[in-house]
Amino acid sequence: MKNHTVTIRFTLNGEPTTVEAAADVSVLHLLREHLGLKGTKEGCGMGECGACTIVVDGRAVNACLMFAPQLDGREVLTVEGLRAEDGLHPLQQAFVDHHGVQCGFCTPGALMSAYALLQENPRAGREEIVTAISGNLCRCTGYRNMVAAIEAARDRRTDK
Amino acid sequence: MSTEYIRPQGLDEALGLLQERQDVTILAGGTDLMVDRRSEKIRPRCLLDVSRLPELRRIRTRDGVLEIGAAVTISELLASGTIARMAPVLAGCARRFGSRQIRNVATIGGNVAHCAPCGDTIAPLLVHEAQAVVAAPGGTRTVDIGEMAGGPYQCILAPGELIRCFRLKPCPAGVDLADFQKIGRRRELAISRISMAAMVRLDDDGGVDFMRFAVGACTPTPHRFREVEDFLLGRRPDEGLLWQAGRLAADTMIAITGTRPSAAYKQPAVQGLFLRMMSPLLQPGRKSHA
Amino acid sequence: MPDNCRTVGKNIARIGAVERLQGRPVFSADLSLDDALVLKVLRSGRAHAVVKDIDVGPALAVDGVVRVFTEADIPGENRMGIINRDQPLLADGRVRSSADPVALVAARSEEAAERAVAAIQVTYEDLPAVFTPDEALAPGAPAIHPDGNLLFARRIRRGDVEAAFSRCAVVVERTYRTPFIEHAYLEPDAGAGFVDDDGTLVIYASTQNPHYDLTEVTRLLGVEKWRVRIIQAATGGGFGSKLDLNVQGFIGLALYHLRQPVRMVYSREEAFLATAKRHPLEMHFTTGADEKGRLLATRVLITCNTGAYGSYGIAVTSRSAVHATGPYKIENVEIESRCVYTNHPFCGAMRGFGTPQAAIAHEGQMDLLAQRLGIDPLEIRRINALRTGSVTATGQKLSASVGIGECLQALTPHYDQARRQWRQEPSSPYIRRGVGIGCMWYGIGNTGTKNPATARVAMDREGRVTLFTGCADIGQGSSTVLTQICAEVLGLAPGDIRLVVADTGLTPNAGATSASRQTYISGNAVQTAAAKLAAALLEAAADQLQVPRASLALSNGEVITGAEKTGCVSFARLAQMLHDQGVSLEFEGFFDPPTTALDPATGQGVPYATYAFAGQLALVEVDTLTGEVRVARIVAAHDVGRAIHPENVRGQICGGVAMGLGFALMEQFVPGSTLSLKDYHIPTCADMPEIVPIIVESEEPSGPFGAKGVGEPALIPTAPAILNALADALGKRIDTLPASLESVLETSIATGHFGPREV
Ligand SMILES: Cc1cc2nc3c(=O)[nH]c(=O)nc-3n(C[C@H](O)[C@H](O)[C@H](O)COP(=O)(O)OP(=O)(O)OC[C@H]3O[C@@H](n4cnc5c(N)ncnc54)[C@H](O)[C@@H]3O)c2cc1C
Ligand code: FES
Ligand code: FES
Repeated sequence: MKNHTVTIRFTLNGEPTTVEAAADVSVLHLLREHLGLKGTKEGCGMGECGACTIVVDGRAVNACLMFAPQLDGREVLTVEGLRAEDGLHPLQQAFVDHHGVQCGFCTPGALMSAYALLQENPRAGREEIVTAISGNLCRCTGYRNMVAAIEAARDRRTDK
Repeated sequence: MSTEYIRPQGLDEALGLLQERQDVTILAGGTDLMVDRRSEKIRPRCLLDVSRLPELRRIRTRDGVLEIGAAVTISELLASGTIARMAPVLAGCARRFGSRQIRNVATIGGNVAHCAPCGDTIAPLLVHEAQAVVAAPGGTRTVDIGEMAGGPYQCILAPGELIRCFRLKPCPAGVDLADFQKIGRRRELAISRISMAAMVRLDDDGGVDFMRFAVGACTPTPHRFREVEDFLLGRRPDEGLLWQAGRLAADTMIAITGTRPSAAYKQPAVQGLFLRMMSPLLQPGRKSHA
Repeated sequence: MPDNCRTVGKNIARIGAVERLQGRPVFSADLSLDDALVLKVLRSGRAHAVVKDIDVGPALAVDGVVRVFTEADIPGENRMGIINRDQPLLADGRVRSSADPVALVAARSEEAAERAVAAIQVTYEDLPAVFTPDEALAPGAPAIHPDGNLLFARRIRRGDVEAAFSRCAVVVERTYRTPFIEHAYLEPDAGAGFVDDDGTLVIYASTQNPHYDLTEVTRLLGVEKWRVRIIQAATGGGFGSKLDLNVQGFIGLALYHLRQPVRMVYSREEAFLATAKRHPLEMHFTTGADEKGRLLATRVLITCNTGAYGSYGIAVTSRSAVHATGPYKIENVEIESRCVYTNHPFCGAMRGFGTPQAAIAHEGQMDLLAQRLGIDPLEIRRINALRTGSVTATGQKLSASVGIGECLQALTPHYDQARRQWRQEPSSPYIRRGVGIGCMWYGIGNTGTKNPATARVAMDREGRVTLFTGCADIGQGSSTVLTQICAEVLGLAPGDIRLVVADTGLTPNAGATSASRQTYISGNAVQTAAAKLAAALLEAAADQLQVPRASLALSNGEVITGAEKTGCVSFARLAQMLHDQGVSLEFEGFFDPPTTALDPATGQGVPYATYAFAGQLALVEVDTLTGEVRVARIVAAHDVGRAIHPENVRGQICGGVAMGLGFALMEQFVPGSTLSLKDYHIPTCADMPEIVPIIVESEEPSGPFGAKGVGEPALIPTAPAILNALADALGKRIDTLPASLESVLETSIATGHFGPREV
């Protein structure tokens, strides 16, 4: 019986990264257990909640639904990589300012969805924002303040 | 026992591997495979990642045929101008598919090969009379989209076969309606309870001179409902006629499935959804696109 | 409200938001303990059976397995339950539901633990099982617990119902039903633990009540309280289900025996299977009114299915009875609510404790009466609304802060506009629009029982203030609000206050984060403690400055004289002085709301010290062809006494509306077939209506700065409002939840709305 691991090379939050992992573990498992990045959360493990959302090559994806080696050669951003020089990324600051966080378990995933959306379309309208975070379940906020925060972050960017 | 992962660089390499080894599971986006692995429906021995094969990633037109690579993602369908123009029904389906995260990785090939009764791309592919181009060890064969599933979750592909792409007849010029509709338990991230795809064209007198119509999630595998098409062809739709046609759609479904508990809802809802979907035809001069 | 608060009433940044936004490892599953063993539970998979034998041998043979525990390994009392103690940690020779834990595995890896669980051989002898209260109460039904299947009944009697019915112009009678509901907090239950250098078992957990956890864990282990320390890790939502001991007992047991770090993280599937659900209720209501619409009498029979264990079932039952009148004056009542065991997985607390269910019924009755009498639905509520001086069904005279009238007033312009205009302009010929109202009242704190909180405020020698509270912030924002209260009393900025929260080793007991009680009860305790510190500082400053104490105030870390600039003295100086004098600057505050127990026969008494009130307006669109429903707008007016943090109140309201919308339209847990989030739908962002939250402040004299609570009230009126709006749209009520695609379409067909418009 061979005990396969695969070598996976990718860019993680700007850093070239190489890991060895079993091929059938999820990217979520890879991040949390192999790389110790606990910001990406597991809420369901089956694509239904979005708590594990990360950005791969500019697109929001569910880390729980990807096999680890699918990351090979990709550029990956997790919540740990979301920051600005002076501390919080504008999106994070907007979530503080607009009270978009309650229990906070859904928050990293929602941030990553919002981040990918605004990268893709800095002028995304409310409807696009709603669509973009509809894969991120939140049981606490009723989403209103999350949407408000994302709109505020968008407006700050486009003002500049 | 652990799993191997192979990502071939080109189609030939992939086909070679498929031919060589019997224990290979084709991996595209992984959104179905991961869920099946979690519930231990599958334990893949070797994953063959086809998601980056250039030959499977194209959307193009050749000789009037629209060709969509099997590894094209749902988001890419949604973003493609070609799809919006030539297959607006499929674009409509992409819009309602899963969540944005799912759309970003889920592929059309995976959707077709998974053969879920509620697979959303099937009904749109049916109305485009799509064929799957299947690369097999001995060469290439084509399979009508309606023949891909032997039953729920039963893909007819033999081991070693791979879907390369789908060939669609583009939406004919001048259609009056090209639409995809889906009913789920919520507005996003919803499994279809019912889905419908249709293209309709009216002639100068307002009579239906072209129609294709398919229903998903209501029968063990999605079906084109030719009875309904035939019923409306040559007639001028008014509300009463569409209501009758909707009834025929519902009866057609029941004829396939028999009366199941879910029919108490689906039977009237198919009729209702049909009327709602077709109602733009009642407003003269309006063209409706998904 | 004219006052000069500096912090109370302001929307300060939430405490804890930044860590969460940065993805720091604050949740239980994020904790990394060296070489932590993985814990996994074997669950019975049978509804009702005797456990004849458990063979752990094959499991122990699995590579990586350290130990397998069964009931025999529990050193203390194998019984849990906050109200009635009926639940074993590990099966005690019998299993009463398919989720019952039978054995616990500790292993070096997830995979080993899983394989070991699968390898344990249990021999069962099945017993007959019952799944509905009717079956459970039938003669000859198998007794699930020794005292039979009727766990509890709450009766409320007042006036003469029979006589009053005979005077009614109309009497309406209906049965309402609600399904099992899953809390679906985003963070599946988790915890971790280790043994400290001094031998203390330290347990981190996702919990709503660390001090209760401590009581239970120490009782299970048969050890003194100081041997265990429970620390609340960041908690990703709870909504009532994290009031039960989900992982804490298992972690404690493993630590006790193995003295090595352990962790336990539920998968979503396990959280669905094994944690409490909202009780399904069957509610039979008969309500009568005179020709003017005044409520004269109500007779209510409620049956709560609590599954295999009590958990908070008694509280749910009692509260559903007390709240069955709604926020209305009714002089003649005969209410009975019963709590019945069945062999389903157990039900427990969920946001509102039976009140969300009861509100479906009392609000349905109000609309039916309005319709029969030809009175406007808003009007009939106005006529009957409780007001200051009203006497409730339990005989309690409401002396202040009865804001239901103001809530209705706030809804009126929205309601009028919606009825007159919006409702008449459907967006397509197949759409029907409806407008509905839902109201509620909600007693703050536990029902007729003691439920105190203690808080401690301390100032160190440098003049820095620390607030110690046992109150678990599970996302509702209590840490922020309590800090605001403390800061306000001491004239400090919230950022000046250090906070130590929910750690049984360090903080006093604040009781559960439940029953919307923490702002009111812990808020009072914090206010008292802070006021004691303030008094000490003022006294010392008066001495120091040689001015009367009454002329002094606290501001920005100093004691200042109000009138002229005669001087000021910093907290730091005072603190140093007092410490040097050996005066302690550590103060406790305590608050227990004044209540009385309810009489067992008549239910008379004072169950709560104060009530929150609310009214919501729902605007819905129904697709008559498919049964799809879109909620277009919810206007939500909530009397919270005083909003310490208005945005937090609005946040609670919006979250409550989302949960209420799910309850009304899509949520339904079917034991055995609802396995995960794939089968259980909660609203996504796209399902949400526009929400207009309106804060009504009818000050509660006994509340901190006049505050009451909002956590549960936020959710309660939403589903009734939506159901009433659906009835308005279709002309026929749906009384069994959820109002799914199926039942809405069926109703559309039954009322003749299904079909073409022009034939
Ligand atoms: C949360 C969630 C929401 C979803 N929502 C929807 C929805 O709204 N509508 C819907 O229809 N589906 C939905 N799905 C299902 C799933 O995302 C789709 O079926 C998707 O299209 C599968 O594509 P994939 O690339 O991820 O497939 P994979 O998981 O990679 O593969 C699926 C199957 O297809 C086979 N396969 C893949 N590519 C090929 C190929 N080129 N040739 C031969 N065989 C191949 C694989 O071996 C496997 O058996 C959802 C899934 C999740 C988890
Ligand atoms: S954990 Fe990945 S979607 Fe829920
Ligand atoms: S803030 Fe708790 S789930 Fe979103």
